[in-house]
Amino acid sequence: MSFELFSNLVGAFFTLCIFSFLYKDNPFYQMSEQLLVGISLGYSLVLTYERVFIPYFYQPIFLKHEWILIIPSIIGLFYLFRFSSKLSWLSRYPIAFSMMSVGASVALAMHTSILVQMRQAMVPIENINLALIFIGTITVLLYFFFSKAHTGVYGQFVNIGKWFMMVGFGASFGLTVMARISLLIGRIQFLVNDVFLALKQAFFG
Amino acid sequence: MAEKKSFFVWMQSLDRRWIYLVVALAIIIPLLIPYNSDNVTTPPTENVYQMVDSFAGREDRAVLLSFYHDASVMPELYPMQIAIIRHCFERNIKVFFLSFLPTGAPIIDMAINTVKEEYPNIKSGVDYCNFGYIPSALIVPTVIGMGDNIATAVPTDAEGRKTENLPIMKGITNYNEMNLVIEFSGSTAGAYWLIYARPKFGTNIAVGVTAVMAADEYPYLQTGQYIGLLCGLKGAAEYEKLVDVFAAYRTPGEPLQPYIDENGNKIVPGRAFSKDILKQPEIKDLIKITTQTEAKFTPEEFELFLKSCPEKDQPLLQIAKQTVEGNIIIDVSKLDQDQLSPITWDTLNRLTRNTQYKFKVARVGMNAQSVAHIIMIIFIILGNIGYFLQKAQTTKK
Repeated sequence: MSFELFSNLVGAFFTLCIFSFLYKDNPFYQMSEQLLVGISLGYSLVLTYERVFIPYFYQPIFLKHEWILIIPSIIGLFYLFRFSSKLSWLSRYPIAFSMMSVGASVALAMHTSILVQMRQAMVPIENINLALIFIGTITVLLYFFFSKAHTGVYGQFVNIGKWFMMVGFGASFGLTVMARISLLIGRIQFLVNDVFLALKQAFFG
Repeated sequence: MAEKKSFFVWMQSLDRRWIYLVVALAIIIPLLIPYNSDNVTTPPTENVYQMVDSFAGREDRAVLLSFYHDASVMPELYPMQIAIIRHCFERNIKVFFLSFLPTGAPIIDMAINTVKEEYPNIKSGVDYCNFGYIPSALIVPTVIGMGDNIATAVPTDAEGRKTENLPIMKGITNYNEMNLVIEFSGSTAGAYWLIYARPKFGTNIAVGVTAVMAADEYPYLQTGQYIGLLCGLKGAAEYEKLVDVFAAYRTPGEPLQPYIDENGNKIVPGRAFSKDILKQPEIKDLIKITTQTEAKFTPEEFELFLKSCPEKDQPLLQIAKQTVEGNIIIDVSKLDQDQLSPITWDTLNRLTRNTQYKFKVARVGMNAQSVAHIIMIIFIILGNIGYFLQKAQTTKK
């Protein structure tokens, strides 16, 4: 038996362990779930050590003697004080520094998520799609305008917005179903091609 | 009528595990028994394809593929990654890879190696460059830094080589050249490129997302901030089809690899995207997902093919040919690979239009998807009829 087939068999065993939850909760499912969490964490830890700690901390400070980097390293270590009830206030400093990136993104995010969206909502209504976008934008925005009761003609108008949202939720739900089925297809393709057919090939030629 | 009602009432109380079983069978059976079906391509996918293809054979253009996901969403994103990498390797397009997630890095290696098996001439550092894992804390400096100089923003590749010394960097400095970023993720991670790279540097951004996330990404597509979008397994299936119809297409006699013509021009095999070609009935032969063993030629095409083969193979091909309805057919399953030179064997296999399983995973999956959807629609209709009948019965009582 080749190593690839053996590793696929291990993968198949754990896939079936996870699928067994569909019948009911059981120790095989729990074992697989906990293994997944543990392995992911262990893998990330080793990779972070190799790809972050060594090139961004150890090499610059201890090999290249860039002593200035000791300051941000110490500030970074303050994160660990989250575990101390007395000194947890120190962890706010690295958080404050990391918030700089949030500040830096505000102006650009406004451009992307607000200004460009608004600009594209203000184009001439030249076709049916643009008309639908126009009506949808106005009615949905009015639906969330709660200072006025949704009654009478106004109420009927904002109800159109509710219908637009329903269509949106339906599309989202349909896409979600498609995504979940795709994941199942991926696993079954693995079980059928990489395990079942490979086993057949290995033992029966 | 009473019998019907009891059936619907029975449906209402059906144990969910039976539904799981039916859905599982609806997926397993089409996977075991594949059938040919068409995937109609949509403009968001076509736009990504056309933008990637516009870089074909160019020294001063490159694509960056960012893998911002782990193994949990691989069934949806991996086929589209394979399809795009194959497109790049087929059409001699420079391609860079990176991942801001530790668990994304091995997926990059796996994807490159899976495609590279079929392209022995493709070399790391020359045709592609893998930057590997870049810590997520460095997303902003990396995304912005690449706008100035890629080699400064990412000094080394995943193999520890200096980026600036790699042959692939010839003609590539920043987003002016690496002018397309495709982000693969199961979240809205593509927003990083949209926020930091597009407004400041005008970089073209496209995304390949899981179907769940597509609804969130459409507003950016509609406003033109994304040049295109691949939506889950469907998007991957569409891209696979486009690669088969255009990038991997070879006419008989055409070389498989890029070459320099007598005027010194670089010629990249394959053909450019065209809506008209997609409408032609002949493309049905190019997108079959069942195993194909027969290479079909017109007599003129066969002559061209023979001329492109080494002389020692020509008598064997003459013996193997069969004439059916004025066309010449060679069945590769009846030939001995060892008797033919590798170039003839590879070209002949390419002309059978047989696509390897790894390059049609999404299309095979979409067959199962279609069957599963039909089953679910039936369940939804039956469930609703049962619900309303039960409601009417309760009201009557």
